[in-house]
Amino acid sequence: MQFLLPILHSSVTIMTPLLLAAMGGLFTELSGMLNIALEGLLLMGAFCGIIFTYFTGSMVLGVLLGILCTMLLSAILAAVTLNLRSNVFITGLATNLFASGLTVVLSFKLFGNKGVVVFDSIPSLPVLRIPALAQIPVFGDIFIGHSAFIYLSWLLLAVCYVVLYKTPFGFRLRAAGLHQKALSSLGMDPNRYRFIAFLISGFTCGLGGALLTLNLGAFVPNITAGKGWIALVVIFLGNKKPLGLLIAAVVFGFADAFSNYAQGALNVPADFILAIPYVFTLLAMLGFSIYSKSKDSFES
Amino acid sequence: MIDLRRRERKSLMVMMRSSIGPLLIVAIALVGVVILSLLLSKTPGKTLRYFFLGPIQNTYYFGNMLNGAIPLIFGGLGISLAMRSGNFNLGGEGQIYSGALVATLCAIALAPLGIAGAVIALIAGAAMGGFLGGLSGFFRMKWNTSELITSFLISNAVVLLVNYLIAGPFMDPSTNLIATRKIPEAFRLARILEPSNLSSALFLAITAVIVVQWYLYKTKSGYELRISGLNSSFARYGGIHTNWYMVLPMMLSGALYGLGGGIAIYGTYYSCMKDFSGGMGWNGLAVALIAKYKPAAVIPAAIFFAYIEAGARNAMLHSDVTFEIASIVQSLVFFLVTSAVLQSVGQKKRGH
Amino acid sequence: MEYAVEMHGITRIYPENNLRANDAVDLTLRKGEILCLAGENGAGKTTLMKILYGLERPDEGDIRVMGKPVVIGSPLDANRLGIGMVHQHFMLVDDFTVAQNVVMGVEPTLYGGLYNINEAEKKVAKVVSDHHFSVDVKKKVKSLTVGQKQQAEIMKMLYRDVDILILDEPTAVLTEQETEALFVTLRELARLGKSLILITHKLNEIKAISHRVAIMRQGKLIGTYNTAEVDELEISRLMMGQSVTLHVDRVDTGLDAKPVIRFENVSVLRRGQQRPLLDKVTFSANSGEILGFAGVGGNGLGVLEAVLGGFVPVTSGKIYHNEVETTNCGTANLRNDGLAYVPADRIEVGSAVAASVAENLIVDARSSFTRHGVMNRKKIEAHAQKLLEKYSVKGTPGMSIGTLSGGNIQKVILAREIEQYKDYIVLSEPTWGLDIASSQYVYERMAELRGAGAAVILISSNLDEILAVADRIIIFYRGAIVAMLAGNEALGASKEELGAYMLGLKRQEAIHD
Repeated sequence: MQFLLPILHSSVTIMTPLLLAAMGGLFTELSGMLNIALEGLLLMGAFCGIIFTYFTGSMVLGVLLGILCTMLLSAILAAVTLNLRSNVFITGLATNLFASGLTVVLSFKLFGNKGVVVFDSIPSLPVLRIPALAQIPVFGDIFIGHSAFIYLSWLLLAVCYVVLYKTPFGFRLRAAGLHQKALSSLGMDPNRYRFIAFLISGFTCGLGGALLTLNLGAFVPNITAGKGWIALVVIFLGNKKPLGLLIAAVVFGFADAFSNYAQGALNVPADFILAIPYVFTLLAMLGFSIYSKSKDSFES
Repeated sequence: MIDLRRRERKSLMVMMRSSIGPLLIVAIALVGVVILSLLLSKTPGKTLRYFFLGPIQNTYYFGNMLNGAIPLIFGGLGISLAMRSGNFNLGGEGQIYSGALVATLCAIALAPLGIAGAVIALIAGAAMGGFLGGLSGFFRMKWNTSELITSFLISNAVVLLVNYLIAGPFMDPSTNLIATRKIPEAFRLARILEPSNLSSALFLAITAVIVVQWYLYKTKSGYELRISGLNSSFARYGGIHTNWYMVLPMMLSGALYGLGGGIAIYGTYYSCMKDFSGGMGWNGLAVALIAKYKPAAVIPAAIFFAYIEAGARNAMLHSDVTFEIASIVQSLVFFLVTSAVLQSVGQKKRGH
Repeated sequence: MEYAVEMHGITRIYPENNLRANDAVDLTLRKGEILCLAGENGAGKTTLMKILYGLERPDEGDIRVMGKPVVIGSPLDANRLGIGMVHQHFMLVDDFTVAQNVVMGVEPTLYGGLYNINEAEKKVAKVVSDHHFSVDVKKKVKSLTVGQKQQAEIMKMLYRDVDILILDEPTAVLTEQETEALFVTLRELARLGKSLILITHKLNEIKAISHRVAIMRQGKLIGTYNTAEVDELEISRLMMGQSVTLHVDRVDTGLDAKPVIRFENVSVLRRGQQRPLLDKVTFSANSGEILGFAGVGGNGLGVLEAVLGGFVPVTSGKIYHNEVETTNCGTANLRNDGLAYVPADRIEVGSAVAASVAENLIVDARSSFTRHGVMNRKKIEAHAQKLLEKYSVKGTPGMSIGTLSGGNIQKVILAREIEQYKDYIVLSEPTWGLDIASSQYVYERMAELRGAGAAVILISSNLDEILAVADRIIIFYRGAIVAMLAGNEALGASKEELGAYMLGLKRQEAIHD
């Protein structure tokens, strides 16, 4: 079982961007918008986070600027969807295409390179060590020694819960998704809450994306490789509840970490490994819909 | 007689009005190209000249551009059929790629059969795409799984699988390319505008548009498909087998993509090369959206997208920008194409 | 005389069809009175009230509230001026509690931002006790009865301390008893000095509740009258412009009645639920009669409709058409077998609004216009033209059906289904939302079908309708049949008697059929 510990440790690292993207997606989902742009927003965050860190020399500043750029993209997405009344799915697709095009174009413009860009000179993610916790066997091995951003994201999950379920804003946002006329008939604009939800997903994806590249110290084209889509599935499988999101993210994080391990340890073609997230997501979706269908039907 | 002419003029007016929205979006996309060139290029004038004039500067480039539109016509038709029935098919990328691979492999295997073999191989490629599309339709029918997401996921996995097959078991060891062996010479479609790549596949694409148009508006099945898409509760109430219209349009949609893939091999590529169809699936979707799912409008929309791609490729070859600006322009179109606000520009003003 | 609201010369023109929804309307509301705003569908009542509540802007005219000229740009402005509106369709979030729904938008907070749910519940509970409502504020809205939901809607407005309350057809979905309880509340509110406007077209309610009645017709205000000084016939004449009474003659068809549709112990059970949606339902619908089904919403009428239409499978029991079993054979097969069916939801089920009238007219007869899979456009157009004339529909075959008025859409659906029928027809809420003239038209067609020997199955929550046209009446409560009235029992039944069955207060010992 010794091989399992590093897998579990790295699954914590892998699940964090997933969890962050899913958290932001939860806000848009509950406000009544299917946000498939998580993929593009993550990619935007991944690219901007690392290049701003590189240019400013400061990781905090770089991540903040990266988040800002990602929020700008999500604001465009929200404005086009809500103010110009476009189909949210197609604008989400547009966001994904835009992000993948823009990152390559800018990478070519700035570094003359359309492939992997390695940043040697940037600081590595600050690792938080809590000695007392590290003493606990197994638990310590898995949960200790991650970057500070990872613990921050867990904190954000708690914040996310409080905002959604313990504030007037959260109630109104959920009302926008459940019955928008209940809001508008009282003089509140449901689209205002949806707009803010898009901005929140820009924020979390900006952070989550930055973790992807900063962890690697390099930008790889299409580094997100379907993570935004999986985040969407995490939201559905997590039953649209913060705690459910955490559990689903852990499961997917582990699956991803395991496939990385398999690629190295077992001799499986790389294409198959790359296909695992999609196949896994597909199976999870099918399982979930078979379960829902069996629960919600007539006896005959 | 007078009344008839007035009606004709009125319908022409309506047609012109309803095309203002798409034309506006095309215009915005072209402005986007200009802005991108000004921002990204050191020699924007040269970049723009290659971008806009490159694709039409001579027979070679012009023919290649039209040739690029052919798979987009098939894809756009496929998406239109799915959308008209109320189904989303986002699996175009995988359907076109796997359809091409199957058609190529069958063509090589069926070389001795001659023309019959060529037709069978094309049908096999279409069947491959149809199977993938139909699978998502089946999942939706059976378990109410969103076909929009499953078609995307299946396609992504299939693209990787095809990559593996091309680079592995079916790779042609005699070349340096990552590609399968070539299809028999006898199967290849004739070039119709030398020296460009444009082949008689163009006529097949136009035939496909006519057939789809006829199917949608003249046949009972087409009627049932459209009614299912407009209101599935009503369709079911009227005794239409709505379950069937979750599967059939997805199958037809995938089959048109698969056929487009096979025809691209027959007309242009001759062997299934790694990633040869990358982006065609998404472009097909964009074409259908801008054509508002009307088969006849798919042709100009496909040519527009082929033009953007050809322009970007030209600018990349002769100037200092990269090809991916095409996907930025394309995303611009996606952002705006479904906008109800932009669509209503030029139409009669409506209250709420 | 002090007025709570004065509206002068209000004109509202809808640009898409140049319709004058409101044409120089003058309306006044006195303090502490209950005013009924009466009129046919499309008379402009709702538009006028939407203008008062800030949901629409008038093209001309001005409004004074409590004597002061005001501009009402949004519901928020209206609330600030003390105006509240209870909409016809509930604007409630099912998954939130009553208290959470009521306070939404003006939530009490804690520590400068957190939602103070305890405080909200306390405040809303006070509204409940002040006005003798019967709602548990901690309950989720989805578990409430229709009457309680309406109370929650009214509480929303009372919580915002409104002085002027608009109610849009508040009794449309209520039972007799619930309506009575609502009226007690409304009278109490008026006594406390609030001013109320009720939109309605039910004559008996106007007489029962209002001090004054304002009558609108085709966008214009015909006049405002003291309710005590006009009788129902007069109000109806003013609304219609002519007097019409709803009536269907019952004639003995002289035919031998035979069962056409027969249910035998039919039950429908949703997986994981204890209480069946339909509970051992047994009846037969006979040729040459109108069989009326009555019941309060949520007691099985909707499921009965879905079973008859083949949308919902039955869990146990058997269904026969002319003694041939058709249990769970699906809508498509039922259609082939001769199902004709006018659904309650004519927009979502009965038509495809974006498709043309002609395409809507052939949905269940499409095969007869097809040869070798290809449809004959000319024949379809001609067929549509013929039906539009025969059923006097205002429209053309090529128009999309969604551009027709509600009454004309219903005529198109009736035309299609009557042309299609073989020996039975199901009509669910066939006159819901229709004006008197269109309703009368529907009843006449039903009577014709009965005369031709059809088994006519009428499902309706409108007791007046059931009493006016049904030969036999079956009443549902909690998914089961609790009463069956035939012959003189049905003819002489009162609304109160039916209401008692519908609410489960009474049930027949032995149900004869």
